Amino acid sequence: MVDLSVNLCGVTLKNPVIPASGTFGFGREYNEIYDISLLGGVATKGLTLAPRAGNPVPRIAERNGVILNAVGLQNPGVDRFLAEDLNWLKSKTKVIANVAGSTLEDYANICAKLDGAADLIELNISCPNVKSGGMAFGIKPESVKEVTRAAKSRLKKTPLIVKLSPNVESIAANARAAEEGGADCVSLVNTFTGMAIDIERRKPIIANNTGGVSGAGIKPIAVRMVYEVAHAVGIPVIGMGGIACAEDAIEFLMAGAAAVQVGTANFTDTLACPKIIEGLTVWCESRGIQKLSSLTGALKLN
Amino acid sequence: MREVTATVLENKRIAETVFSLTFSTEEEVTVRPGQFAMVGVGGYPLRRPIAVCMAEGERITVCYQVKGSGTKFLSENYKTGEKLSVLLPLGNGFYVKDSEQKIAVVGGGVGIFPLISVIRRYAAEKEVYSYMGFRNRGALCMEYEMTRSKRLTVATDDGSVGFHGNAVQAFLNDCDRIKPDVVFSCGPVPMLRALQAAMAGKGIPVYVSLEERMGCGIGACLVCVCDKTDGAHARVCKDGPVFEIGEVRL
Repeated sequence: MVDLSVNLCGVTLKNPVIPASGTFGFGREYNEIYDISLLGGVATKGLTLAPRAGNPVPRIAERNGVILNAVGLQNPGVDRFLAEDLNWLKSKTKVIANVAGSTLEDYANICAKLDGAADLIELNISCPNVKSGGMAFGIKPESVKEVTRAAKSRLKKTPLIVKLSPNVESIAANARAAEEGGADCVSLVNTFTGMAIDIERRKPIIANNTGGVSGAGIKPIAVRMVYEVAHAVGIPVIGMGGIACAEDAIEFLMAGAAAVQVGTANFTDTLACPKIIEGLTVWCESRGIQKLSSLTGALKLN
Repeated sequence: MREVTATVLENKRIAETVFSLTFSTEEEVTVRPGQFAMVGVGGYPLRRPIAVCMAEGERITVCYQVKGSGTKFLSENYKTGEKLSVLLPLGNGFYVKDSEQKIAVVGGGVGIFPLISVIRRYAAEKEVYSYMGFRNRGALCMEYEMTRSKRLTVATDDGSVGFHGNAVQAFLNDCDRIKPDVVFSCGPVPMLRALQAAMAGKGIPVYVSLEERMGCGIGACLVCVCDKTDGAHARVCKDGPVFEIGEVRL
């Protein structure tokens, strides 16, 4: 039997496959289709201090091999998540609470509420779809460090993941800044800012005009970025960007990721995550690999 | 709801831009009138949400308009025997109370298809009055299924068949005479708005099925929301697609 377990800054996941934030809600809907306790963890919908209504519709568009989305962080607020969803989700799998704010205080205060409650916290400083805050903290290395520090100062128990934006000058520099700010782990990539135009109407399809690009088409860029970041920091890396099958996940592991997140593929097939987990075992078994984590960073450059 | 690898039984053109796709699921699926399916199209990241038009055990028919490259691909590449990845049944669907005997269905364009599932389900035990609108003769389809109604009025925008005008106008001409207990509607938003305005204060419950660009189709991603009159958002895929007409901003 292949050992799929991975250790993420002191937290053991039974396997490295985590549905990505925003594509999986708090897990309840997918649990009607399969038992989500087979997942390594779940990254929740981005949580803000107060409930948020999000952007007008349309919020999604499709292009070759990719989708664009601009949901705008619609969520019920961190308090309702704590009251209604956290315990249920924790009974199923490891909970990675995704946190979004518009000020340093927001980030710090949400983290304080989740400390000791969630298994891991993922700081969303890279949402391209909200006007204030969010991505503003994710652009410059100095502000990445500052927001990481603010969040970390309120976390005594729960390890901190910082989710990095690819829409930056150097994602490796920002990863180092997160590490210097006290991050225990980084995850990447969030979506690339893009636009899709309805040429008949001469207007962007998405009401927000721009949206975050994700899906198979961004995978080679994401793999390269994960490789760069894994070689720039000493903390674990979670890789994501267009993963749809076990082989995709293995590419990210070899590039240096300790775990992976799966987003868009959940829309193409609600069973994408369980199929990837199964595929990882099959791939390792057929090659005599006993421990999946031995693949992390196994890449040999030409 | 469940994931199904279905087998295409038939995928044929039934009007100028509309195809009828019948597939067989491995096991019997119970589908309520007004529910929909997410149909996977090879190579496209997003599945297409399509209303179920007919459901008989394992045999499901959905009808779709060829609108973009995905539906074009679906119409050209999924022949009899091909495998199809489908998630169904989804959404709430139309509910008829025991006390409701007279049902009016008002459909426009591809909005007629979820209403055909209402006609098929209730024509034998209730009185179903159907008002179905099409752009012109070339868009007209599924007449046989519609004729199961107690009374059918076909409307065309250009008057080439039946009533000259839209389905809402045709329905409003009859509404006070037939006095329906409940009205179900699906169609373009301007049509639904006209129905909303005309039915306000009549005291007859009206339910509309909405359409929106979707992500997951099961209520997790919050992509396909609509505005409710109380200021909240509802998920079209999970809380809908059927809403009481006064509950949503159209």
